[in-house]
Amino acid sequence: MTRLRAEGLTLGYDGPAIVQDLDVAVLDGKVTAIVGANACGKSTLLRGLARLLKPRSGAVSLDGGDISAMSTLDVAKVLGLLPQAPLAPDGITVADLVSRGRYPHQGWFRRWTEGDHAAAARALQATGTAELADRRVRELSGGQRQRVWVAMVLAQETDLLLLDEPTTHLDINHQVELLRLLRTLNAESGKTIVVVLHDLNLACRFVDHVIAMADGRIVAEGAPADVVTAELVEKVFGLGCVVVPDPIAGTPMIVPT
Amino acid sequence: MTATAIRPDTAAGTLRATRRRRSIRAIVVTSGLAVTVSALFVLTLMLGSFRLGAGEVVGSLLRLRDDPSVDFVVRGLRLPTAVTGSAVGLALGAAGTVFQQLLRNPLASPDFVGISSGAGLAAVAAIVLLQAGGLIVSGFALAGALAGTLAMYLLAWRDGVAGYRFILIGIGVSAFFDGLVGFVLTKAQIFEARQAAHWLTGSVGQAGPTELRILLYALPVLLPLAMLLQRQLRVMELGDDTARGLGARTELNRAALLATAVVLVALAVAVAGPIVFVALVAGPIANRLLGPATGGVAAAALVGAMLLLASDIVATQVLPTPLPTGVVTGAVGAPYLLWLLITTNRQGEGG
Repeated sequence: MTRLRAEGLTLGYDGPAIVQDLDVAVLDGKVTAIVGANACGKSTLLRGLARLLKPRSGAVSLDGGDISAMSTLDVAKVLGLLPQAPLAPDGITVADLVSRGRYPHQGWFRRWTEGDHAAAARALQATGTAELADRRVRELSGGQRQRVWVAMVLAQETDLLLLDEPTTHLDINHQVELLRLLRTLNAESGKTIVVVLHDLNLACRFVDHVIAMADGRIVAEGAPADVVTAELVEKVFGLGCVVVPDPIAGTPMIVPT
Repeated sequence: MTATAIRPDTAAGTLRATRRRRSIRAIVVTSGLAVTVSALFVLTLMLGSFRLGAGEVVGSLLRLRDDPSVDFVVRGLRLPTAVTGSAVGLALGAAGTVFQQLLRNPLASPDFVGISSGAGLAAVAAIVLLQAGGLIVSGFALAGALAGTLAMYLLAWRDGVAGYRFILIGIGVSAFFDGLVGFVLTKAQIFEARQAAHWLTGSVGQAGPTELRILLYALPVLLPLAMLLQRQLRVMELGDDTARGLGARTELNRAALLATAVVLVALAVAVAGPIVFVALVAGPIANRLLGPATGGVAAAALVGAMLLLASDIVATQVLPTPLPTGVVTGAVGAPYLLWLLITTNRQGEGG
């Protein structure tokens, strides 16, 4: 059973199509990584799945319905998105930013409810940012800021969570921290998570399912241990390497030759 | 597990307390501003060559007394100025903060993005080339503001817009219009040139009754609309992708917000000419009072009215020679603009 899937999906901006005729089924309750070289179309695919980009052909379906025909507010109650470069307004506090994630649950005139407070508080708590609630987002370190943005999307309380390169610009420690956080969210609340990642080693270590893309097409997909091989890395990244078991987790680890 | 089960409650408590603090602050600030605006409104009615007491003014306004000479001065002579100052200030303040938040840039005031200069060009053309006055000039100003907006839209908004690009195109469009204004002025007779130059400075005193009435009919619709759209503004500020992820209809919101703000500015400019800097500073002042990133449209509108009424009192009563209001707002706003340019440059956040 998969709630979010794409069939025959072709996506592009002004020029030629970037993603060509893709079929994707996002595994429920799993963490999936979309990996690939720069400009292979992985972020484009994610934007397509998140209904930010209208398909040129094909369709994305959510819970059996065509996502582009659904009310965008209804989609936002089920599917959350953290884009690549979200903008924090000048001087905004953590609490304020995270609270804005409640938008799809509030109406034009509906007041702020206990449920909203509770959801925002849970999001702060889950991401370990509750202590930062009164701080300004601009004053935070890159790692803290990224966790605050995750909290904003969590406050949306969606079953599915899409994140576009959330580890970019973070140092290795904070990259690992963020992926551990996603793992925890998945383990504790069964959230379905799709994350675009650059780093194949991190993907292998932390996700259940890998979708490897090259030139707008899916080259391989499956559990990291099953699909990540030297041939795949050569094909996707053009990098000669050997794949050895990770000494800690036993997952595939890429070592360039 | 029990420890983590308790902590979300305390976090919720903190959030609740923060939110309550903020709403109390918003109520206090907004009512304080409303009181200040009312006081300045009454003060405007008191001052002049024939000074009146506050009691006389309020009595005449509320029709509690019957003193024809006071009524004539208050309702006949000074009320239009006070009403114009308040209405134009409210419109400019609200529109300015909507622009700044929507374009995520404190420099994105209607003064700088081609709207006011479009109005100026059209009005000057009407004065100089058609020897028009009054309502026709205002009508041209309105049309010019809308044309300026359209020019900006075609040049910059088409693909959705952010930061610097928009500001730079706006400055370019403004410069182009200002150049044309200069050209039109060289074709003018001295009388019309003076009239046009005066219009361009912007003054509360130049309002005609018909233009003012249009603005007064529009404000009760547009101000609540702007306040209602503030909810959308709060998510639009996070960037288009984030806003769409949260379920906002970004194109629709942007169109609604821009249309509301542009019509507010256009009507205000049609009434009082392009009074500079009010729209630029009202939002940031309101934010200072309310706390960062609160973006209260109502507070910004009231700050706009406060600034304009105070500037007009200074321009017509305090200075030895009465001056157009725009001279005073310009003198106050220019240092702020410099400060803004210096600080945003230092933080590297100008875009």
